[in-house]
Amino acid sequence: MALPQAVFFGVDLVKFGIDFVNFYALYFAISLTLNLEAGYTGIPNFGKVLYVAGGAAVAGSLSGRLAAYVYGINTHGDYVTFNAQIITQVNNLIASDPVFATELVLLSLLIAALIGAAFGYLSSYPAIRLREDYLGMLLLAVAQFFQIFLRGFVPLVGGTQTIQVPDPYVYFASLGIGFRDLVAAAVISVFAITVYFFAEKVAKSPLGRTMRAVRDNEDASRALGKDDASIRRKVLVVASAMAGMAGALVTFYYGSVGADTWTRFAWTFWPWLIVIIGGAANNAGIALGALFFTALFKGLAQIQVLLPPSVLSDPNYIVDIAFAALIVIVLLVRPEGILRERPTLTLPRRKLVMIARSSSTQLPPAEGDSSTREGGGKLGRLKSLLGRILKRRGSADSAR
Amino acid sequence: MVVPYFNSAVVYASLFAFMAIGLTLTYLTTKVPNFAYGSFVTIGLYTSYTMWKINGIAPYYASAVAFLLAGLSSAIMYLVVLRPLARRGSSLVSLMIATFGVDFGFVGIFGIYTDYLRNRYNLNDTKQFFQLQADFNLGEVPGIVYVAPAALTLIALLLYLLLTRTKFGVAMRASVENPSLAKVLGINVERVYVVSWILAGGFAGMAGAFYTLWLPGGTSTGSDLIVEIFASSILGGLTSIFGAILGGLVIGGSEIVVGTNLTTGFGAIGAAALGVLLLLVSVYLWRLKKGRARIVGVAGIVLGAYVFLEAASGLSLDPLVSGLVGGFGVEAIAYQKAVPLLIMVAALIVMPKGLVSINWRKLLRRERKK
Repeated sequence: MALPQAVFFGVDLVKFGIDFVNFYALYFAISLTLNLEAGYTGIPNFGKVLYVAGGAAVAGSLSGRLAAYVYGINTHGDYVTFNAQIITQVNNLIASDPVFATELVLLSLLIAALIGAAFGYLSSYPAIRLREDYLGMLLLAVAQFFQIFLRGFVPLVGGTQTIQVPDPYVYFASLGIGFRDLVAAAVISVFAITVYFFAEKVAKSPLGRTMRAVRDNEDASRALGKDDASIRRKVLVVASAMAGMAGALVTFYYGSVGADTWTRFAWTFWPWLIVIIGGAANNAGIALGALFFTALFKGLAQIQVLLPPSVLSDPNYIVDIAFAALIVIVLLVRPEGILRERPTLTLPRRKLVMIARSSSTQLPPAEGDSSTREGGGKLGRLKSLLGRILKRRGSADSAR
Repeated sequence: MVVPYFNSAVVYASLFAFMAIGLTLTYLTTKVPNFAYGSFVTIGLYTSYTMWKINGIAPYYASAVAFLLAGLSSAIMYLVVLRPLARRGSSLVSLMIATFGVDFGFVGIFGIYTDYLRNRYNLNDTKQFFQLQADFNLGEVPGIVYVAPAALTLIALLLYLLLTRTKFGVAMRASVENPSLAKVLGINVERVYVVSWILAGGFAGMAGAFYTLWLPGGTSTGSDLIVEIFASSILGGLTSIFGAILGGLVIGGSEIVVGTNLTTGFGAIGAAALGVLLLLVSVYLWRLKKGRARIVGVAGIVLGAYVFLEAASGLSLDPLVSGLVGGFGVEAIAYQKAVPLLIMVAALIVMPKGLVSINWRKLLRRERKK
């Protein structure tokens, strides 16, 4: 049995589609976490690769050891050297043990989330204290050091030579070509959708509005009694935990993990590119931005396959230059991205319209202004103030 | 020579001082940390590589060409990317992400260039090459050990003269301090900025050319060096050129000294001295009388005393102390970049304005009064 093929100009559309979804969902999820930090809270996280790679490396390394331990496979005391043999045995056993495969994935996700959260907590220490430029430099340097560390520290992921990871999807590989990737795509998509709804929920919650207030005017939010340090810390911990989980899913999809996967271009710059293209502080914009980026990236890769191989140079480098040019052009021409940031409504739009109708004589003073809510109290007043600040900012933007 | 790694420390320190000057210059003028800065070093690397492999020209001569090429790239980057963005009123983060993007573009250009070199001249080491065997020897010592610090001294002297003795230098300082006031006085601020960017890229290129004489290089060398370059610049305060020189010297020197000793071992006396050092720093932290500093201080005192006692008694019971005494082996060389990173973090916590911001005399007086 195999997946149906739909060949179009020499490209198998089904295979291409599965590959596309995998890539899209991964980058969508990671960009959403970056958007929570950079877009909503204003933490310029130039070390995103650190959290993804941290989750991926630890989950990738531990899952194999754990599986070997559970199945009682002889590691000869040197997991890295005998890695290929061990993983082959593990995969053979996992193929007939779906319960353990699921447990392994869930446990690895948990470990990756913990590692990501720990890294996020540690980096919240400078993030609270430093200015944007210093923080950016520090996080970039730390992430770069982490990659150098991964390259040097053999026991974790084998240094420069990559190690293999148990394949929890191995059962589906036996069903036919393409099924494994299809299931992987489904898993990653479920993860990405969960992250999306979580991010939307946060953005529309009072916490989300406070995050924006901290970003836009730290002093004012502090004067209103908001603890900006704790909000930054929370956002970094949660976003980094999710980035770590995304990293673990990447390793299970690739089936291997090594140091050289984790370049700052692929895992810091591309998510930033997506956030900038899609529109910072707009989760729907991120979805569009990731789609645009994936279409461009995968489309260019397909065109390369169709073109005759160039003797002169690897066409990938031209893609790199094109992306560099793209981000500069987007920043110059449309810095707010595809979808600009909008003031959030404190209640669903339908409810606001209902309130407006029931108060018969006049419409609510402003869209997204919660002063119409009955008995708002202290919280209500704060919300209305924030609403007004956001609204004013929005109108100032459109005036420009 | 005094110690075997002395040469290495001298070269490293001088090169990082060069790179830190450049990064500080760009930060001074545009107030943007240039994430693409490592790529200018790579430009220097490949200028030197190409000229040596193809034309047989030694990297010392190539360094002049590298200066021009990297300076030109730097100026183009400023004029094409950063200036239009700044005029558009982009935020600091947007400018930072733009420099990040430019770095990505540079890596693409290096990829194409190295592919071209490989195919055109049948060179198989274009992506990753060894130290170039192009240096002369003076006695037992390679020439770069003299040339790098000499060039640094010369450049520092010239920069000092430029900034204090020439009209253009005064204009430069004025434009950095207060651009609008400088404009009112008729200074062409834009020209000043362009010149600073040319100088900044040039120093990186020059350092890259020298670098090939001492260490292996490749397309990602510049990107990896960003840890040390940022650390040097931040240690120097990010706003002082002479602070940057100091920062580069400290970072480059300490990375080699500490890194080498971690692999070969500090010896019993060295390890004991480290314990004492840790003890002293911890006592200082403990005396700060702040909750968290006190906890860290107590932990440090215990650890410091333990390391000292164990190293001094020559027992070496656990891997930490025996590693410090006898070395952690060759693998430890991979982690020597932890040294600049730790210094950078410490600098950001203790003295965010850098080494030059500290009033040493006042600090000493205050300590004496206690």
